[in-house]
Amino acid sequence: MNGKVITVTSGKGGVGKTTVTANIATALAMLGKKVVAIDADIGLRNLDVVMGLENRIVYDLVDVIEGRCRLRQAMIKDKRQPDLYLIPAAQTRDKMAVSPSDMILVCDELRQEMDYIIIDSPAGIERGFRNAVAPSDEVVIVTNPEVSAVRDADRIIGLLEAEEKGPGRLIINRLKPEMVARGDMLSIDDVLDILAVELIGVIPEDESILISSNRGTPVAMSGLNGSSASQAFRNVAQRLQGETVPFVDLTPKTGLLNRLNNWFSKS
Amino acid sequence: MEQVASQIGIKGIREGLLISVPDRGSLADLVALLTVELAQKRAFLQGSQVALQVGYRKLDKEQVRQLQAVFEQNQLELWAILAEDPSAREAARELSLATRLSGSQTDLNGNFLSQVAEPETAVANDMPAQGGLILKETLRSGRSIYHEGHVVVIGDVNPGAEIVASGDVIVWGRLRGLVHAGALGDETAVICALELTPTQLRIADQIAISPDEKRGRAIPEQAAIRSGQIVAEMWQR
Repeated sequence: MNGKVITVTSGKGGVGKTTVTANIATALAMLGKKVVAIDADIGLRNLDVVMGLENRIVYDLVDVIEGRCRLRQAMIKDKRQPDLYLIPAAQTRDKMAVSPSDMILVCDELRQEMDYIIIDSPAGIERGFRNAVAPSDEVVIVTNPEVSAVRDADRIIGLLEAEEKGPGRLIINRLKPEMVARGDMLSIDDVLDILAVELIGVIPEDESILISSNRGTPVAMSGLNGSSASQAFRNVAQRLQGETVPFVDLTPKTGLLNRLNNWFSKS
Repeated sequence: MEQVASQIGIKGIREGLLISVPDRGSLADLVALLTVELAQKRAFLQGSQVALQVGYRKLDKEQVRQLQAVFEQNQLELWAILAEDPSAREAARELSLATRLSGSQTDLNGNFLSQVAEPETAVANDMPAQGGLILKETLRSGRSIYHEGHVVVIGDVNPGAEIVASGDVIVWGRLRGLVHAGALGDETAVICALELTPTQLRIADQIAISPDEKRGRAIPEQAAIRSGQIVAEMWQR
């Protein structure tokens, strides 16, 4: 087997990298793939919490790299998906405990038995970012429809191009169609206008994401009340596999609220 | 004895101290050696974290404990054992000691790798000393181009990117970043773009910012100094 390494990064913090990582990994596992998610945010680990695996941590990524345990021992099996694993970050160390060549070693070993290796990158453009990107075959950039997040995403894309890691593909997270309709939020087109990269997902702002994250069940799996975000993440997973999936219609003029309003006024 | 003692190497590494010891001789000899060496340099070493390099020496769990004790007596913390022998590494692991350093030239098990490919950081080098510079790419945030001469960009200049040129700057695309033309004082320098919506423009020692209102359709414009001020004019000649 020759697994694919996908790094999820953003530059700016708080745009939803960890949520996206957890959900992409879960959604790919639900499609029957063998997936391992790696938390590369050494010192500020979160992915284990979002995936609800915090209490199962014995060994972490730094233990693997420093040879305190075997790779297999640090892989935590997910509660619900049989072929989903997590390698957590160390909480007591910092980014310098890992080097880009260590990450390449870890991923090369994982490639042997997994279909996908999803790496959650820390915010920023320093060592942690370089660690996360070094082993990647493909990069997914997460941004929010706001000027500062887009600016940072642009910088990240520039850095990726300089490292010959391709322009990457884009996920726009936390889009509020009704705000876009009012002209109060950047639209998908506004974001793509600046970044000029391929779009691989649009995740609408959805309360069920927060609820699921707090419960430690990624929304892609829980699918709370048929949440639109849940479907959006599953679509991203399918696109990552090379399938063509149409984007759910979130364009300003037919935003969810407007559509509801139209529907009520018609009947 | 004296000759063997000199085989103990101590050097500083990022994680603290790296102490290498000969891989021949009995453990008792080694313990004795270390005890003497550490006692002598105690004031110098005190409180450090130590990674011990033992080469091909075989160690079991009990022997690793003995070594740990030697360091403890000298107020040193043994945190890693770097061994060529797999059973020694296994023994160290069982005592929760690390068996490799981050970034070291070994695989995850601690076996020496012939070559580790460290990704090369590409250095953008698009600045010849003189003449015009043509860039066929989009300049993204964080990118900065300094050039003595004219600069032509075929692509966009995004917010957060900057171009500083002693001559003119022409952007065949959208200019949304910062451009400084005539940076060495040439007030006749001009800046042209298919869409001129920069965060800031500078020509010679003049500075201008774009008006706040959004314009509908983008039109090609040229900025130049007219009676001491930077003005943008529609492109028509």
